[in-house]
Amino acid sequence: MHRIYMHPLPVRVWHWSNAVICVMLCLTGIQIRYVGLINLMPFRMVVAAHNWLGFLLIANTFIWLLFYLSSDRIRTYHSELNPIKLFRESVRQFVYYGYGIFKEAPNPFVASIYRKFNPPQSMTYQLIMLILLPIQCVTGILLWDLTRYARAVAFFGGVRVVDTVHVLIFIVFVFYIPFHAYLGTLGRTPMEHFKAMFTGYEESDEGESTDKAE
Amino acid sequence: MAAVAGMTAFASAGTLSKDEQQCLACHGSAGMEKQLASGETLSLHISGDTFAKSVHGAIGCAGCHSDIDPTGHPAANSSIGGKRSFSVARVQVCRGCHSEQFKEWDQSVHAALVSGGNPAAPICTSCHSPHAVIKGSSAAMDTVPCKACHGDIFTAYAASVHGVLRGSGVTQAPLCFSCHGAHGVRVPTAGAGLKNACFGCHTTALAAHRTWLPNTELHFDVVSCPACHAPKAQRRVDLVLYNNTTHKEASEPLGVPEFASRAGSPAARRRGLDPAMLFTLLQALNRSGIEDKTSFKGRLDVRTGVEAHELAPSAEAISDCNTCHRAGADAFQSVTISMAGPGGIPIRYGARKEILNSAFSINSIGGFYAIGGTRITFLDVLLVLALLGGIGAPAVHLTARLAVRRYTNRTRHKQRKG
Repeated sequence: MHRIYMHPLPVRVWHWSNAVICVMLCLTGIQIRYVGLINLMPFRMVVAAHNWLGFLLIANTFIWLLFYLSSDRIRTYHSELNPIKLFRESVRQFVYYGYGIFKEAPNPFVASIYRKFNPPQSMTYQLIMLILLPIQCVTGILLWDLTRYARAVAFFGGVRVVDTVHVLIFIVFVFYIPFHAYLGTLGRTPMEHFKAMFTGYEESDEGESTDKAE
Repeated sequence: MAAVAGMTAFASAGTLSKDEQQCLACHGSAGMEKQLASGETLSLHISGDTFAKSVHGAIGCAGCHSDIDPTGHPAANSSIGGKRSFSVARVQVCRGCHSEQFKEWDQSVHAALVSGGNPAAPICTSCHSPHAVIKGSSAAMDTVPCKACHGDIFTAYAASVHGVLRGSGVTQAPLCFSCHGAHGVRVPTAGAGLKNACFGCHTTALAAHRTWLPNTELHFDVVSCPACHAPKAQRRVDLVLYNNTTHKEASEPLGVPEFASRAGSPAARRRGLDPAMLFTLLQALNRSGIEDKTSFKGRLDVRTGVEAHELAPSAEAISDCNTCHRAGADAFQSVTISMAGPGGIPIRYGARKEILNSAFSINSIGGFYAIGGTRITFLDVLLVLALLGGIGAPAVHLTARLAVRRYTNRTRHKQRKG
């Protein structure tokens, strides 16, 4: 059994603060959308809180972006360019989640410091971090000050269009967050991946120890 | 008898010149009148005393009646069709001296109504009795002429914060003309509505609202002042057709026939314009070949002119966000669509309130959205499905894993025992 330094400090800081911010954004967003149904705090306060949390999310995303742009760990986000290989490995992973895991078969994907995401996981993270999150941040900024960004809002088709896109991505996150947490429990022990995201170290049967890697 | 009455008028009109006194010798006779072709009776009696005191007394009779040839007068046989047509034709006389006021009136909604043949639309003499005009008489609550036609609105005004102040002698408090103008009266809902009139006195309104109202400018743009400051009024959303090129309200002749035929179609009138009809209407107005593209811009307003004048003290104004930003809010229960017709007078049709919550309307009314209040119902369904899927699918997977593990452990245990 080896210890691999899988999650450097900036990634861990970004991950957990992102988790807290995203959950709070979802909660405040739900109250903003369903005023009257959910009244955890006054409307004006919840709007202000949602705005501040949004800016924190943007700032936090820059921690993630700057770290990966300045580190060779960015390779972990490199796409698999061979579609056949990508398809085969994705199917294998889905078969594991849908069948193998019930038979206590080993996970077909073995993580390493430069390849820590399995193929479906990698595609999901790329979709979220490179497409959905930026769109969510941009639409959020537009909705934050509709007067200042009136021309941009009009360009995209109006406030209703911008808000619809913002809500659709929010719905995707509402689906994704509990799913993500559950998938985190599918290690060799339910808490293995959670602990790793605090300590930075994952345990692996394969490869060499990277105790001093960073 | 007429001569005696004339002499009485003559004697009391001391400040009038000889010429005027000559006119009043006949026209000062009470009961002097003329039968018109329409069958109406036109009074020709002028009170010399009142005329002398009026602002027009100084210019004398000939100031306005220069067309009368004293040598051929009285022209008893001259034909006057009817009171209204005679009065409408005579506004040109007023124009001679009051060209600025006439120009303003000519561009007003009142003039547009006159052009449209509305027999009740006001012309100069409707508000200003030409032989009895007293300076300042239109600026007093008791004598302001607007209430002759807009009596119900004036009653609402008189009971409002503005009317109460004015009535108590505060002359800074507005009267009708302060907001609407005296002659250039426009359609109150046109363009920015009367917001600029409000800001004329309430100069710090924007700054004051900014201290507590998020997206203040946007609220000011889409919510009329009375929508919040007349708290007892019923509100409605008016979706106004806008010209995307000029960024102004689309007006005649642009699309009026198309708009009227579709929005006012029997089906739309019967069950209200629904989201699909609105979508089709906009498609038709923006079909290829049409140069000026249009879109709908929403505005939250009160339903009637009377309600627009029921302004309360600012402490009573609506400031609770939840009033509008929640599902089923009163503000979004009534919807109309409109475009500016002749003279800016809105051509307005009722629409179904579902327009505000339909996914079909995302493009049609892309510029109008109130968080919570006009949210799209379809997205609510998607959110519930996402929540069920996001929590339910892992729950099912976890349950299946635990069940399989338990079954496997039990089987292994039995195998070991066996």
